[in-house]
Amino acid sequence: MSLFLIAALPFLGAVFPALLIRAGRNACSSAAGAVTLLALVGVLLHAPEVFRGETVTARAPWLPQLGMNANFFMDGLGFFFATMILGIGLLIIIYARHYLSREDPMGNFYTYLLLFQGAMVGIVLSDNILLLVVFWELTSLSSFLLIGYWRHLPAGRQGARMALAVTGGGGLALIGGMLLLGHAAGSYDLTTILERKDQIQASPLYVPALILILLGCFTKSAQFPFHFWLPHAMAAPTPVSAYLHSATMVKAGLFLMARLWPVLSGTDIWFYIVASIGMITMVLGAVIALFKDDLKALLAFSTVSHLGLITLLLGLGTEEAAMAAVFHIMNHATFKAALFMTAGIVDHEAHTRDIKRLGGLRVLMPVTFVLATVASLSMAGIPPLNGFLSKELMLDAAAHTIWNGSEWLFPVLATVGALFSAAYSFRYVVHTFLGPVRDDYPHKPHDPGIGMWLSPAILVLLVVAIGLFPEALAGEIVRTVTDAVIGGHGHYHELKIWHGVNTALIMSGIATVGGLILLALHRPLDVAWLAAPRPEAKVIFDACIGALIRAARAVTDTLHDGALSRYAAIFTLFTVGLGVYAFSTGEIGEATRPMNRIEVLPLIVWFCLIGATACVVAFHRYRVIALVIMAIIGLVVTLGFNYFSAPDLALTQLSVEVVTIILLLLALNFMPKRTPIESSPGRRLRDAVLSIGAGVGVGLLLYAILTRDFAFPSISEYHLANSYKGGGGHNVVNVILVDFRGFDTFGEIIVLGIAAVVIFALTEAILRTSVRAKLLNRKPDWPVAGDSHPLMMVVVTRLMMPVALMVAAYIFFRGHNEPGGGFIAGLIAAIAIVMQYMASGFSWAAARQHFPYHGIIGSGVLVAAVTGMGAWLNDKPFLTSDYGYIHIPGLEKFEWATAALFDVGVFLAVVGAVLLALESLSRYAWRPNTDSPYPMDINPARDDPRGGRED
Amino acid sequence: MIQSDLNIIMPEIVLAVFAMLALIGAVYSSKDKLAPGLVWVTALVMTAVAAWIGMNGEGSHPAFNGMFIDDAFSRFAKVTILLSAAAVLVMSQEYMQRRGLLRFEYPLLVVLACIGMMVMVSAGDLMSLYMGLELQSLSLYVVASLRRDSVKSTEAGLKYFVLGALSSGLLLYGASLTYGYSGTTLFSGIIQTATEGSVSLGMLFGLIFLISGLAFKVSAVPFHMWTPDVYEGSPTPVTAFFATAPKMAAMGLFARLLFDAFGADVADWSQVIALLAVASMFLGAVAAIGQRDIKRLMAYSSITHMGFALMGLAAGTEFGVQAMLVYLAIYVTMNVGTFAFILSMERDGAPVTDINALNLYARKEPARALAVLVLMFSLAGVPPMLGFFAKFYVLNAAVSAGLTWLAVLGVIASVISAFYYLRIVYYMYFGEEGSELQTNASPVLWVMLMASAAVMLFGVINMFGVEGAAASAAATLLH
Repeated sequence: MSLFLIAALPFLGAVFPALLIRAGRNACSSAAGAVTLLALVGVLLHAPEVFRGETVTARAPWLPQLGMNANFFMDGLGFFFATMILGIGLLIIIYARHYLSREDPMGNFYTYLLLFQGAMVGIVLSDNILLLVVFWELTSLSSFLLIGYWRHLPAGRQGARMALAVTGGGGLALIGGMLLLGHAAGSYDLTTILERKDQIQASPLYVPALILILLGCFTKSAQFPFHFWLPHAMAAPTPVSAYLHSATMVKAGLFLMARLWPVLSGTDIWFYIVASIGMITMVLGAVIALFKDDLKALLAFSTVSHLGLITLLLGLGTEEAAMAAVFHIMNHATFKAALFMTAGIVDHEAHTRDIKRLGGLRVLMPVTFVLATVASLSMAGIPPLNGFLSKELMLDAAAHTIWNGSEWLFPVLATVGALFSAAYSFRYVVHTFLGPVRDDYPHKPHDPGIGMWLSPAILVLLVVAIGLFPEALAGEIVRTVTDAVIGGHGHYHELKIWHGVNTALIMSGIATVGGLILLALHRPLDVAWLAAPRPEAKVIFDACIGALIRAARAVTDTLHDGALSRYAAIFTLFTVGLGVYAFSTGEIGEATRPMNRIEVLPLIVWFCLIGATACVVAFHRYRVIALVIMAIIGLVVTLGFNYFSAPDLALTQLSVEVVTIILLLLALNFMPKRTPIESSPGRRLRDAVLSIGAGVGVGLLLYAILTRDFAFPSISEYHLANSYKGGGGHNVVNVILVDFRGFDTFGEIIVLGIAAVVIFALTEAILRTSVRAKLLNRKPDWPVAGDSHPLMMVVVTRLMMPVALMVAAYIFFRGHNEPGGGFIAGLIAAIAIVMQYMASGFSWAAARQHFPYHGIIGSGVLVAAVTGMGAWLNDKPFLTSDYGYIHIPGLEKFEWATAALFDVGVFLAVVGAVLLALESLSRYAWRPNTDSPYPMDINPARDDPRGGRED
Repeated sequence: MIQSDLNIIMPEIVLAVFAMLALIGAVYSSKDKLAPGLVWVTALVMTAVAAWIGMNGEGSHPAFNGMFIDDAFSRFAKVTILLSAAAVLVMSQEYMQRRGLLRFEYPLLVVLACIGMMVMVSAGDLMSLYMGLELQSLSLYVVASLRRDSVKSTEAGLKYFVLGALSSGLLLYGASLTYGYSGTTLFSGIIQTATEGSVSLGMLFGLIFLISGLAFKVSAVPFHMWTPDVYEGSPTPVTAFFATAPKMAAMGLFARLLFDAFGADVADWSQVIALLAVASMFLGAVAAIGQRDIKRLMAYSSITHMGFALMGLAAGTEFGVQAMLVYLAIYVTMNVGTFAFILSMERDGAPVTDINALNLYARKEPARALAVLVLMFSLAGVPPMLGFFAKFYVLNAAVSAGLTWLAVLGVIASVISAFYYLRIVYYMYFGEEGSELQTNASPVLWVMLMASAAVMLFGVINMFGVEGAAASAAATLLH
């Protein structure tokens, strides 16, 4: 059978239980069993090739660019694990059929179980480490669903969470490790990687890759310090515990260590990490297991201990140790799965798993008693059972290990581990089955039907058979698998029970006797253990999570307290930091331009600018004052433009400044005029330091730029050279606007017009809603001045109006050659009219305004468009400009450029747009009853001055 | 000349004309009653334009003397932007309408933002870069404070605006420095000056300020401060929008600027980008742990994910860009599904965003819970979900470029961030008894959630061809 099919079978088959549950529980479990059996047969069919030392492969490209391919291969190791997973899976399926009660959703259970099985088979058959990672995480996922199957148990919830957090995190670390490993090896295919030991171990990526991979393995196989999740996951139904937490999932970590053994092992770091962790886990798990009263918790910690044992063997890095590891994996799977199932039977029958409430079951449940006893003795390492054989191998390997110069450390620890292991194994039997029969069981137990004890019986049969005839039954398999683990042909001893009296046997004897003594002393020891303070891993885990959450809150509370000022401060600080970084890594070079001489007058103006800026900050809580000072800053900037020979810009700046200040005044009308103090002096000091730092940084940068030449001549040279030639004007800015970039300007005036029209439309729409009532009813927070239309203002603005329009006309006409132009002229004209609105009131001005602003905007755009189209008459493209000169008698030579006509369009559009926008906005503020019927509210000639006063 | 230029930006023009016509029409009729229909029409138009861009384009076409570039890279980004924006629009219609938030401006602002994004990813010049960026940003500022009667929403909008203005200022400053020292605003010109001589200090400053400005837009740490507030304060559909299309656009622009204009000095920016990536990954991962509000949690999640995307960029290689594009495409798809779920969370008709509300949700709605489980695992980067491939792509790119330390830190960050995604799953499956969450039965949200989860599952087969498209997109960017 193709490996693809074997790997896919459980996944495809997972559909059947879910569908067949309607046909009954037997159909459901049979389907699951049949699928598993089929896959198992598929694996076994490859046995001859595998025993010949060949590998079976199946390859298909998937995402080749990522190095990810659906490649599978099966050598001895894969074969061994696949057989174990599917074989025990089959037994579990039979067992679960009888274990699960009628209320349990069996269809879901078998579906999840098959998914999990498929993922496990996928892990052991993958020939691509990325594919392996995918299956690896799939086991976490499906085991999560399986553990969560028992949803109504509160203990299960905590366990599921911890299992998921630990193994999920480990899986992510494994991804990183595999990535680095693949990178170091130059390939993600296992077969290739396994051949490149030297290359990998020489790579600088070896250590990080090793650590990340081991993190994945240790979390999965519950090695210290991640051992705590496994016992808590035991709240799951027993078939799940038996399958996941004894035979398969927890072995995935061991599998991976064995799989990568040829390339990763053999170094000091491998030995010290893997062997030490394995040893600690073995001893620690065994000690804790002895003092657990819950049968499943006892078995869980014993599993932790045995997994540690195998890890230790893999960590030693010798061929014999590798063989011992393989052999123990096999033996552990048989006796531990059997033990879990017997524990499940006890729980199922007696309705309790608490050892203290049990005892004397040998009479009531003779079959279970026999099975449990044999399996326990194997776990304790009593000859002639299989557990004894592999334990001997382990003790032998430990006896010859020197750890950091110490010859006795490993042998002693190994003996201690074995001793406790024997003790809890004996306890499992003695305290559950021996002793007097009690009459206070929660439920009167008796042996279950054959369906439930068949599976453990088969396993126990194996335990005894392998124990008695190790070489005949397991020798060939163990050697083939070990060859696959070490990636070559090793020289091994035969598997046999009697090796003569050697160190290992003596250690084993000590362990067995010591175990019996410990059991005898269990009661006082238990009291001492419970009284002694000991670190509870779960408490530590919870404390760590708690600390993590507190740390996270601390981070968010300090960084994201919602204060904009803090955000801005961090922002500024980091930017300054970046600037410093750039400054320290880049090369600044010598200054190539001399510094200009500092004149007195500009210096004074400069101080005005700085002073005004400081004043804005100081008076920012008085908004009107701040606005006035901002106008001063605008003026200084205007002067600056003028000083640096850019009168055109200065004019633009000036007119834009006026319009924006008016706009802001309008907006301020709706807002409080003052704001309260909200920041502490410390914060203000911090902000001052930061902003001065940033300001000085920008200043220095500007200075550095201005004292050096640009890399290229700037574009202004081109415009200076071409504006008269090409556009017939001396004013470069104006020529750019109306000629070189005429198309842009055309677009801009249209946009400006649209913006104004949209503002108008929005105002119309908003004022039709309830907003208007709100506006009319608003109370200003500051008393309104008595005369809204002061006499002086009215008189002056009316006088100014024709003058301003005259200036606008002047500015417009000189535009082409001197500073000025349609844009600025438009702004000036607009300001002239806005002044009337401001001084004499909205109603008065609106009544005297006869041209609709919409029309003005439209005519401006039209004029510009027609000018542009005029070029078509000369067969030139749109907006090609032309110019000529005419002589009007009595006057000087007069230039006539189409660009000027275009400028008229700009002028009209600007006037219309600015006025329409301002007029629309000011309508929000307009209130009918505050208007005076007179153009001036205060007139000494009138008796009753009125209007404008609300207070 | 101009004719062919206009042809190249025709998709943008079509959308812009649509937006303006609809705007004028709606302003003059001033009826929010039109809004639901407008949402669907807008989504349809955007989908159509996406299909048009996706099917029609071949090769690279510069327009307006290189200021605007239509190539495989920009098409990839544009299709992602338009489709995700359309999906979010459709998802928001019912939610906003039931809560009286659906104004006609909403779909139009989204279109305008999308136009800005399309210009961003096509920018070949600092001018068009800024133009697109501002069009996008201004639309987003307004959308963020769409719920005008909510203090949180307006505050979020204001903060976003103030900080955004600051970052725009930085960006402009950087742009002017770059222009000053290279003499051109065209990317193709800048890269020539940079190749000819070593990068001058001025250029370096320009580059760094440009990066800072853009880092704000992708919400990379430490320019991320607006993200949690805006995500939490905005109406959920708007948050969904924030979490999808703009990310793609900003990262696209980032890549374009760095490779098209500064591709010759990878060493100068790679370290800065790597720093931003590490800071974002870790801060996002750690800060999200303490969150109780799922929208804030998604904000930090987005910060982490942007860190990962930046990792691809920091690699500075063609493969890195491809990785980043694949990452973003997958990320956007995941987020559409996740937000489809968040939008459907409610109790007694009021929206719920507390993650405690998810307790035992799986018992009530097993199908939806399973879909969310898939999405959360995918966000955490757990195989075999598509999110794993995304993460693996960028890690691979980083390692290939010699940034092993960055990849290792990325792995650690992803382990930390897995914690809070798994916590959501944990609550759904094993939480404690509490008041139950209701999820409204809007078919649109259901379809989006299921579709997104299905993509995460079945996308692993061949990623729907995104991989190849991203590869050719990355190739055009680097040549």
